[in-house]
Amino acid sequence: MMWTVNTATGVLVLVLLLVRKNYRAYPAFTFYILVNLAQAILLFIAYRRWGFSSLSSWLFAWGTQIVVACARALAVVEVGGHFLSRYPGIWALARRLLLGCAGLVLLYSGLAGRHQWKLALPSADRGLELSIATVVVLIFLFARYYDVRIERTDRSLAIGLCLYSCFRALNDTIADRFLHGYATLWSLLGMLAFFASLCLWSWALWKSRTETATEENLLPLDVYQSFTPQINLRLRSLNDQLYKIWKPEVPRQ
Amino acid sequence: MTLTLILFFGFVAILLLGLGWALWEPREQRKLQADPRSLEEHGQRHVTYLPQIRQALAKTDYEFLSKRASREVQRGVRHARRRVALAYLAALRGDFQSLLRMAKVIATLSPEVAAVHEFERLRLTAKFAWQYEMIRWQLSAGFATVPQLDGLSDLVSGLSVRMEAAMKELGERAAAAAELASSINRRGLDVA
Repeated sequence: MMWTVNTATGVLVLVLLLVRKNYRAYPAFTFYILVNLAQAILLFIAYRRWGFSSLSSWLFAWGTQIVVACARALAVVEVGGHFLSRYPGIWALARRLLLGCAGLVLLYSGLAGRHQWKLALPSADRGLELSIATVVVLIFLFARYYDVRIERTDRSLAIGLCLYSCFRALNDTIADRFLHGYATLWSLLGMLAFFASLCLWSWALWKSRTETATEENLLPLDVYQSFTPQINLRLRSLNDQLYKIWKPEVPRQ
Repeated sequence: MTLTLILFFGFVAILLLGLGWALWEPREQRKLQADPRSLEEHGQRHVTYLPQIRQALAKTDYEFLSKRASREVQRGVRHARRRVALAYLAALRGDFQSLLRMAKVIATLSPEVAAVHEFERLRLTAKFAWQYEMIRWQLSAGFATVPQLDGLSDLVSGLSVRMEAAMKELGERAAAAAELASSINRRGLDVA
C-alpha cells in the first residue's frame, strides 16, 4: 500500500519537474527522483523473484540504495549551488568547508560503526546519509551567517533532503543493532519518511521556479583585501576591551 | 543503549537543532537595517549621548551623592545607572552588529574571500557574544566596574568612523558602489 502511494507521489514529483520545466533548474534532483522511481520498480521485481528475506534481495536492495544515496548527494550539491553560487567568494569557501566536513562525518561514521561484512552496506549508507544531512545543515548555516536570501523552492527541497537523510541515518543505526526484528517496521517507517519528503517536494515544485540565478555584481577584489583585515583588527581590539571590562584585574598580553 | 547509538542519535539531534536554528528567523532580525546609511546613524547615536553616559557613570558624581543623599536615593541612583549602562552596552552591541553586517556584505560580494579572515571574524563574533553576555550579567548583578565602558565606546566610535571611511572609498568607485547598493536591495536585506 505505502509502496504504491510513494511510487505515485514520486511520479507526481517527476511530472511537476517536467511540466513546470523545473528540471532545467534542477537536473540532478530530477535525476535523483528518476533513480528513486527506477529503484522502486526494480525492488518490486527483485522481491517478487527472490523473496523479501533472501540474501540476493538484501544485497540488491542495498546496492541500489547506495546508488540512490549518491544521486541524492548530487542533488544536495545542486541545491547548495543554488543557495550560494551567485557569490563566488563565499561559495568557494563553503565548498572547501563542506567537503572537509562531509569527509570527516564519513570517517566518523566508519569508525563508529561495527566492522562486520553484513553491516558494511548499511554503515556506508548511514555515513553517506549523515554526510548529506551535515552538508545541508551547514549550507543553511552558511546562508544564515552571510544573510543570503534563499529561494522558497530551494529551501523546501533542501529541508526535505536533510530530514529524510537524518531519518535514514537513524534508521540504519537502529537496524544495525536490531537487524532481524526491525526489518518490517524499518521498511514502513522509511516509506513514511520518504512520503513526507515527497509531499514537501511536490508542494515546493507546484510552481515553476521563475527566478533565474542572476549574477551578483561583485566588488573589486582589493576592497575585500584592504578592508577585511582592518575590520578584524578593530573587532579584536573591541574584544580585548570587553575582556578588560569583564576581568579588569587580569593583565592581558 | 550502546555508545554507538547514543553517538549517532546525539549527532542527528545536533544536526536537527542546527537546521532549526538556521531556519528560524527572529522577528527583530527581520526589521534590522542593512542600509549602509544605518552605519552612520548608529555611530552617531551612541556618540551623541556619550557625555550623558560619562556623567551618569562618573565616580565623583556617585561619591558626591553618597555624602548627601539617603541610602534609598543612592540605591535608586545605582539602579538607574545600571540600567543606563545596560542600555549603553546594548547600543554598543547594535553598533558592533551593524559593522559586522557590513563586513559580511563586503565578503559576500567579493569574488574571493580568505578563509583565515572569515574564521577570524567568526571567532571574534562568538567571543564578543560570550563576553557581552557575561558583562551584561555582571552589570545586572552589580559586579562590573562600569566606568570602563568609556574605552569601549571610543573603540566602537573609531570603528564606525573607519567603516564610514571605507564606505566613502567604496562610493568613490562609483560603479561598484552603485552595484553594492542595488545588490543589497536585491538581496532583500533592506527590509526596514
